[in-house]
Amino acid sequence: MVGVDVRCSEIAKRFGTTEAVAPFSVSLVAGQTTALVGPSGCGKSTILRMIAGLEAPDSGNITLGSDTPKDVARRGGLAMAFQDPSLLPWRSVRANIALGAELARKLGADVDALIDLVGLKGFADHRPAELSGGMRQRAAIARSLISAPQVLLLDEPFGAVDAMTRRRLNVDLPPLWRSRGTTVVLVTHSVQEAILLSDRVLVLSPRPARLIADISVDLPSARDNSLVATDNFIAVSRAVFAALEEDA
Amino acid sequence: MSYVRGLFWTCLALVLWEFLARAVPNNVLIASPMAVAAYLQNNAALLGRASVETLINATWGFVYGNGAAVVLAAFIMVFPQSDRTLSALALLVFCIPLIASGPILRILFGPGAGPQIMLAALAVYYTTLLALLVGLRAVSQNWTDLMAIYGRGRMSTLIRVRARACLPYLFVGLQISAPAAFLGAMIGEFTGAERGLGVLTLRAMRGLETDATWTLACLAALIAMAGYGVIGWLGQRTVGYAPVILMSAPATRTNRTLWYRLWEVALISALVLILWQVSMDAFELNRFFAKRPWDVVLFLSEAENRTILLSALGETLSFAAPGYLAGLGLGAGLAVLLVLSPGLSRAAMPVAVALRAVPIITTAPLLVLAFGRGLVGTMVVVAVMIFFPTFVACQQGLRQTPGQIVDLFKVYDAGRARLLRAAQIPAMLPAFFASARMAVPAALLAVTTVEWLATGKGIGVLMAMTASTSDYNMLWSCVAILAIVAVAFYAAVAALERSVLRVYASEQVS
Repeated sequence: MVGVDVRCSEIAKRFGTTEAVAPFSVSLVAGQTTALVGPSGCGKSTILRMIAGLEAPDSGNITLGSDTPKDVARRGGLAMAFQDPSLLPWRSVRANIALGAELARKLGADVDALIDLVGLKGFADHRPAELSGGMRQRAAIARSLISAPQVLLLDEPFGAVDAMTRRRLNVDLPPLWRSRGTTVVLVTHSVQEAILLSDRVLVLSPRPARLIADISVDLPSARDNSLVATDNFIAVSRAVFAALEEDA
Repeated sequence: MSYVRGLFWTCLALVLWEFLARAVPNNVLIASPMAVAAYLQNNAALLGRASVETLINATWGFVYGNGAAVVLAAFIMVFPQSDRTLSALALLVFCIPLIASGPILRILFGPGAGPQIMLAALAVYYTTLLALLVGLRAVSQNWTDLMAIYGRGRMSTLIRVRARACLPYLFVGLQISAPAAFLGAMIGEFTGAERGLGVLTLRAMRGLETDATWTLACLAALIAMAGYGVIGWLGQRTVGYAPVILMSAPATRTNRTLWYRLWEVALISALVLILWQVSMDAFELNRFFAKRPWDVVLFLSEAENRTILLSALGETLSFAAPGYLAGLGLGAGLAVLLVLSPGLSRAAMPVAVALRAVPIITTAPLLVLAFGRGLVGTMVVVAVMIFFPTFVACQQGLRQTPGQIVDLFKVYDAGRARLLRAAQIPAMLPAFFASARMAVPAALLAVTTVEWLATGKGIGVLMAMTASTSDYNMLWSCVAILAIVAVAFYAAVAALERSVLRVYASEQVS
């Protein structure tokens, strides 16, 4: 399914006495990858969870295309990968990835092709406990991709992965969702990762989250780690760090 | 290799037992293994029939009780708002000692196997329910989020995630149920059946037949342990591991006020009274034996009845309390002691786990034979009943001490005693209090059963007598009082638990 716009208008959320997100508005363009960066505990994940329909905003509203997150969820148009792989330990790799298609009611998805694509060939019948951390995370991301969602939410999906694997996944995975035109929202602590993967970086303030910078990433769409050393990349990183430090 | 070692120790124990029995000439306390074997051989047909009878009743009770637990747990998962009420009702029913519900069921069901099966079911449903709820909730939030992301509801989560994730916990519950169901069936037989091991035990007890009492106790223990073993094996085969389950701390939110809790207690009490009244009326049960709440109130409004009941209750509690404290203290104490010598602990653990499978009540007659029909005998039965689960839970609790914290103490070269005091005992506290809470109904069951069977004192014997005098008002009043006392003590231990764990395990008291 082709991605849809994500529109947050004046959304706010508090947990008890803590104000997690101040009234916050943003529009994310269909088919683009947008990264949310900001200090720890600033409310990035809460925004992501509200877009996912896992938390309801106290005020304001969110639309994906012309629907609510719940509606999109019900027709299988949403998927999410968490910081922790959260695989079901009693299912094999193949069955874990297939779960994404089952839950989204998308039968006939080609699980094995995706297994090859994320580099888990030969491990399809293994249980999660038999895999390394990086392999588990790849399986979890494959689970989120198998249903070809309209909106893909990634909550620090590479946070628990070693640096080498992370470098590779950063290059291998984005073409999958780019080629499908999926709208991707990525939460990450790594500024470099945010820039490398995204078309646009949103810098958020410390809690309660406000938008303090909206930086578009002007890099070619075919990306690899060599880009990191280019002037363009460095200029964007400077802008992001400047915004982060300005408000710290 | 371990089989050979097990066989060796078993043989050694049998030889020692034989010597012990022979060392005391003309003893009426201990029957030697040879005497047990001889009795078994001479009465094989009778014992066989009785075992089959009890086993069948226990099996039906096992099926019904665990079935009820599964249905109840699934209902609570799909309708979480029913959790507090249903859990409170389940706890209340669990708190009524089986020996008290037995006679009531007997008069409601009449003769036949109904009460035995029902008691076996009552003996198992609560522990399975607790294990299931722990298992169903031991699901990471990411998994439930994953279901929500695809627009799936609670039912889907229950079927796809929770049901499968709780299987290991279910097996732990089922395993504990096997001896418990056997115990329930036997208690049902104590309260007036025609056939079964319980009936033979009662007869042997009353006739002071040492060989028969020992044989029956051994037989019952062996059958219960076999059930425990078979289900453990099945669990190993299907899920492969058994999780450590603490019957977790009561999930009471700290922001609930005292008034709110009192209101909740009042509401649940009213619900119980209404259920009691309505169920009696709905089945049009005869008022002569099926008393209603108001009958009990009227009965207890007479000072004479109140005096009899309260003095019996006082007697029962004065026997139960020292046994309860001794059982808890010994269980926790031995667990702590064994931490100091890990080698001994590795040897003691399998024995303790095996003995946990023995329905202690079935061996109560032996303990009474050995320690007499007075305070000491009763206390020992209560203490033994509580000792094993407490010991096993505390051992597991001590092992929950995070490895990094132990390492931290080692880095500073802190001594064993300091590690124990500052890290391991605090880590054990949740397990200790969970056992202390679950031990309240166990202690009341043990004390009332011994009173019913042997000592002729306290509220147990008061209930036993009503069976022959048809004083059903007294019987229902005894049950009501026992239920109130059990719940009150359970709540008191739970309150103490919360205030201690708030300091020592604040992450568990949410």
